[in-house]
Amino acid sequence: MTQNSTLSPIVGNDSLSHDSGSVQIRGVVKRYGTSPAVAGIDLQVRSGEFLSLLGPSGCGKTTLLRMIAGFEEPDEGDILLAGSSVVGVAPNKRPVNTVFQAYALFPHMTVAENVAYGLRQKRTPKAEIAARVSEALELVQMSSFATRNPRMLSGGQQQRVALARAIINRPKVLLLDEPMSALDRKLREEMQLELKVLQRQLGITFIFVTHDQAEAMSMSDRIVVMLDGKIQQVGTAEEIYTNPATSFVAGFIGKQNFISGTLGANGRVETQDGTFVCAGKSEAAAGAPVLAAIRAESIHVHTQEPTIEPNVVAGTMGVVSFLGDVIQYQITTGSGQELLARMTPTHGVLPAAGEKVWLSWAPEHAQIFPNPAPRTGA
Amino acid sequence: MRKFSRRGASVAALSFPTWAYLVFFFIIPVGLVLWYSFGYKPDLFTAHSNSTLSFDRYVEAMDPTFLSTFINTLQIAGLGTLICLLVGIPFAYWMAVKVPSKWRGLLVALVLVPFWTNFLVRTLGWQIVLAPEGFVSDALQNLGILNGPIEILYTRAAVQLGVVYNYLPLMILPLFVSLDRAGVSLREASRDLGANRWRTMFEVTLPLAAPGIISGALLVFIPLMGDYITASVLGGAQGNMVGQLVANQFNSAQNWALGSAMAVMLMVFILLTVVIVGAIYLIIRAILRFNRRVLIEEPAS
Amino acid sequence: MGEQSTMKVLAPQAAIPKISRRAMLVGFAVIGASLALSGCSNQKGFAASALPNGELGRQLNVYSWGDYEDPANISDFQDSSDVRVQLDSFGSNEELIAKLAATRGTSGYDVVVPTGLYIPQMVANGLLQPLDHSRIPNMANLDPTYTNQVWDPGNQHSIPKAWGTTGYVYDTTVIKDELSSWQDFLTAAETTASGKTAVLEDAWEVVAIYLAAHNIDMNSMDATALDAAEEYLVGTLAKSIRAFNSNVVTSGIPQGTFALMQSFNGDARQGMLAASDPERWKFVFPTPTANLWMDNWSLATGAQHPDAAYAFINHMMTPEAALREVEYIGYHTGIKDLKEAALADDMELPDLVFPSQEVLDRLKTAVLNDGQERRVEILNRMQAKAGA
Repeated sequence: MTQNSTLSPIVGNDSLSHDSGSVQIRGVVKRYGTSPAVAGIDLQVRSGEFLSLLGPSGCGKTTLLRMIAGFEEPDEGDILLAGSSVVGVAPNKRPVNTVFQAYALFPHMTVAENVAYGLRQKRTPKAEIAARVSEALELVQMSSFATRNPRMLSGGQQQRVALARAIINRPKVLLLDEPMSALDRKLREEMQLELKVLQRQLGITFIFVTHDQAEAMSMSDRIVVMLDGKIQQVGTAEEIYTNPATSFVAGFIGKQNFISGTLGANGRVETQDGTFVCAGKSEAAAGAPVLAAIRAESIHVHTQEPTIEPNVVAGTMGVVSFLGDVIQYQITTGSGQELLARMTPTHGVLPAAGEKVWLSWAPEHAQIFPNPAPRTGA
Repeated sequence: MRKFSRRGASVAALSFPTWAYLVFFFIIPVGLVLWYSFGYKPDLFTAHSNSTLSFDRYVEAMDPTFLSTFINTLQIAGLGTLICLLVGIPFAYWMAVKVPSKWRGLLVALVLVPFWTNFLVRTLGWQIVLAPEGFVSDALQNLGILNGPIEILYTRAAVQLGVVYNYLPLMILPLFVSLDRAGVSLREASRDLGANRWRTMFEVTLPLAAPGIISGALLVFIPLMGDYITASVLGGAQGNMVGQLVANQFNSAQNWALGSAMAVMLMVFILLTVVIVGAIYLIIRAILRFNRRVLIEEPAS
Repeated sequence: MGEQSTMKVLAPQAAIPKISRRAMLVGFAVIGASLALSGCSNQKGFAASALPNGELGRQLNVYSWGDYEDPANISDFQDSSDVRVQLDSFGSNEELIAKLAATRGTSGYDVVVPTGLYIPQMVANGLLQPLDHSRIPNMANLDPTYTNQVWDPGNQHSIPKAWGTTGYVYDTTVIKDELSSWQDFLTAAETTASGKTAVLEDAWEVVAIYLAAHNIDMNSMDATALDAAEEYLVGTLAKSIRAFNSNVVTSGIPQGTFALMQSFNGDARQGMLAASDPERWKFVFPTPTANLWMDNWSLATGAQHPDAAYAFINHMMTPEAALREVEYIGYHTGIKDLKEAALADDMELPDLVFPSQEVLDRLKTAVLNDGQERRVEILNRMQAKAGA
């Protein structure tokens, strides 16, 4: 995507002002029947920020997005756009636009007509519409498809058109509802990059809904991890990765190993496979049931027993899988606990299945969470 | 080449049900009706003869009764189709959009309930409902809504009511299918892009429902033009329909030549109507397209 | 509405199931019919009729007007003879004739019920078989008044089945005047009953209203008379007519749809019997004259069950069957002392079935003549005018 001066109409001046693209969500609750889909959410989205709503299906992220767009109204709480409440305002009156999951392109219109739709609703002069459509299509590299029927386009092309159709309206906030879920992995990775560049270029607020943690981490300024209609953690990708607030977040981001045990003194956790030292802090009292969480990529595999590491556990090598850029080992410890380790292929000699191996990890790579009995791992 | 011809033969064999159906149930019967229409009724004892061919039956068919009945039929069918559309569109929209999807199957079944009963019996039911001494009439009078008994049976209004009742499901079903297919997300996209409910209706919902509207209108209009049961059960001197005249020629008068000529004229007229409606649709579509077209200048590279 | 009147309403539609059955078979059935038709133009022969052999067999096919036989009589016959009766119905003499003529004796029908005035032409065209009177001993039960009619001297091809006359029925709550003539009918139709009047969908009968009211022969072929009839019927009466419908009286009386209805006497009786307040309605045998018509039992050429056919006709002519018949359909079947039997049985509204001798004396029989085409034209124009 090239940057040039003709883009200025889309990079609207108002979107550069300090607060115009902010979204405030205050105590929002949405119920379907008796069960709450969104169970009390408070969130500040900064103007010009790329924010992802991340969580498994049914966590309420799409419902929250639809309430910002105006397709649903909250049962409780308030939603403010650029400082003023939009509750009760019809979707067509809100300064937001949406890129829908299945793109929702109008099948009876050409690509250009689809993109022009929003401007036509505002009775924009025809000449201006034409100029802005061609500019928007150029921005998403779809200029040569202007007269095509959207049904004839590939998924990726449709997505670009959907994007162009939304941003041509210069929304203060762009809402994206899992826009990449229909794309194959390679295309998805390309689009993630493009989307990030585009967002920087336009300077408008993006609220991006996804269930794919890698996607969220690759693009977002901040990530909101949601579960059961509530926020689990808000933070940058790095914060969430290195310092997950709950065992759920820890399990949702990356490949996580959980070892259950009880909390001892000085960050020690007593498990059936021995006592481990963890650098992370826990507010739980000594003797409380806890989970020690260690990422698969933080675990080292040794063919001989290491001597200097504080946390070592012996086990038997199980399935070894090549995952492209990493190799995943499955190891069963003496107590029957299964642990996953991931290492780059350049690491050295591969232990064969059935061999005895030793695992180790640094104390700072293990975190302690209270053990929520019903949810023992990811 | 041999491969091709063998393949051609197997395609022909596979499509046998299709072309056999067309030939036996469409081309031959219509051809026979056309052929009969050039014949005559020789005497009381013979329904038909083609020994001399002429257009005389067409001349005979164009008598004042046929023409005025024809205009009557056209008005009833046109108005009936329009009412079915006006009732059907909001109903189908409600079914496809507003009703929770778990209830839709039940609603479709309910729309089809009248078809569980014979057409004639259903229509006769209205005779009882509309009777001046019937229960509806009594109830309306007791409630003070009417001063005297309902005077609608054996009038054109009764026929109009009867045809709307009889053909409404044929309108609702294709409308429902097309509105259902248009999908809620397209309407949401339209709202999201700044269109209000009405603009969304005219720019997205209706254009996408157009095939359903057209097929619904044809499904109602065509059989309605040929209907004779509704008119003979509910109609009187007014509200006669051409189908009755054709049926009379075939049943009572046993004049197959005249009946065929009338039937051919009816078919030609229906065909014409379909062509005209199709042309109007294409013109409207062209105008809408012209209005929303985007003229993009060639990028000055 | 009683079941009986419902069936009567259905009766005129009896052709409908046939049509749909025909439509189901379109291609093949129509091809079959066209072959039959092309066949008949080449050869005038009829399929051979079976000869009576004393064996009743197990099947009998009767082709009659809709709901024109008491089902109890049919089932009685079935029970006593072990013959299954297949009863089909037609809606007009033309339909009956066309079917018999087109199939050249292969229609499968044994007993048919044509109206008297059509019989000479049907006989001349070989559609009906001569009857063997020795096989119908109950002919002795017939009142000689109704035998030996002009259309079939000596009852060689037909035996009286039912006769009736045309008159009209009116709602005394709407029409306060006492009506007695066809002129009264026309006056009421133009005034108090305007827009609530029904006439028969029958060209001869409708034109006869005007002719009889003006003391002109109902069978007149006089062009001036027919022109005058047209001028009045199309120009004046048509706009007062709400329905041209021969079957409307049976439902129209109980439903109160019309105030004045031209109708056959038996149909009017059925309608009045179904009404909750029959005393509100009055039937008139109008002066100066009206149509006397008679439907007859006949044996179709090519009939395959002659023994059962004779047995059936004979069965319907017993005094018991005749009594049931008259009470069910409301038409005199021509059997001796039927009036006395009916009165003894406390039959309802007997006056409508058994008019006085004075009425009988003034009735005349309709004739199919060269004026018929003109009459059909008048009715068509009248309908066009009324429907406009």
